[in-house]
Amino acid sequence: MTMGETVDNMTDFSAPTMTEGIAQVVEVDGNTAWLVPEPGSSCGGCSSAAACGSKGIGTVSSRLEARRFQLVNDAGLRIGDRVVVGIRENALLRASITAYVIPLAILLTAGALAQWVAGSDMVTMAAMLAGLVLGLWLARVRAGHLMTKGELAPRFLRRASMGETCNLE
Amino acid sequence: MKEYALLIVSAALVNNVILARFLGLCSFMGVTTRIDTAVGMGMATTFVITVSSMADWAVGAYLLEPYNLWYLRTVTFIMVIAAAVQFTELTVKKVSPPLFQMLGIYLPLITTNCAVLGIAILLVEQKMNFIEATLFGFASSVGYSLVMVMFAGLRERMALADIPRLFAGPPIGFIVASLLALAFMGFSGMTS
Repeated sequence: MTMGETVDNMTDFSAPTMTEGIAQVVEVDGNTAWLVPEPGSSCGGCSSAAACGSKGIGTVSSRLEARRFQLVNDAGLRIGDRVVVGIRENALLRASITAYVIPLAILLTAGALAQWVAGSDMVTMAAMLAGLVLGLWLARVRAGHLMTKGELAPRFLRRASMGETCNLE
Repeated sequence: MKEYALLIVSAALVNNVILARFLGLCSFMGVTTRIDTAVGMGMATTFVITVSSMADWAVGAYLLEPYNLWYLRTVTFIMVIAAAVQFTELTVKKVSPPLFQMLGIYLPLITTNCAVLGIAILLVEQKMNFIEATLFGFASSVGYSLVMVMFAGLRERMALADIPRLFAGPPIGFIVASLLALAFMGFSGMTS
């Protein structure tokens, strides 16, 4: 997940790098395990949490619960197990582009076109709103494609060792 | 068109929100330990700042100004920003739950990011029109993202460097940030 560190593969530099994070198993349903990210600073920079000021917002249990995700339970995980999960390093970039850049680009393009054609603030605002809706729809379609390819799904890497945390430094 | 280009350069580089106005320093130090988290935070902030700039301008022009309520602008803009963040969070969650699981972590940080409020106050104080306000918000947030990614790259390199124990961590981070701010002073004078 977003917290954690990059695995440095010392022997195979062509291997895809993974961003790691620690999560805890909260429910096991057949062959599916449900996990929540381990509480930490919302920015993932545990060592900076004291200076961050947003720790309280990012660590409330409801927010962590909202980020609950599932894994195929091939490893025989049980409730309470701490595991290290990972996603491909460029997955975050692709997800960010899908969620934010596509809607924003269409919003700004629609606004520029409306301003050029009509030159009125109200028309421009309406066009931007329409552009935002269209952009979000396109983001949804692209996110569906990414999900189908499995690029957004975290993978089980290993069980977390005792004392392993999300600290980066 | 030339004015818009100058506005973009001014907001993104000359009056950079982090290195010239010194806003958003919390996330600047907190989320720049890795490039990918800095990119995620930068994109989320760009989206929210642009949307909230438009909303803040509309609230200012159609609510605060006609009813002479400018003294309420700070609290109003905070509410607008919180609503924009909440809207973004709910939308991302609805559009794609997996995206929300990956990106939702950055959104609460934006609510407490003073850069968002600072940009909203600047754009109303400078009496911008709607297009200028939108471009100003967008360009400022692009400048914010640019600095975040640059600083994250430097910090990733610093993690591999042999830094004296006394300077390791935030101290060397602040020194590098000050050098970056000095470098950005080179843009001053290009536009107002």
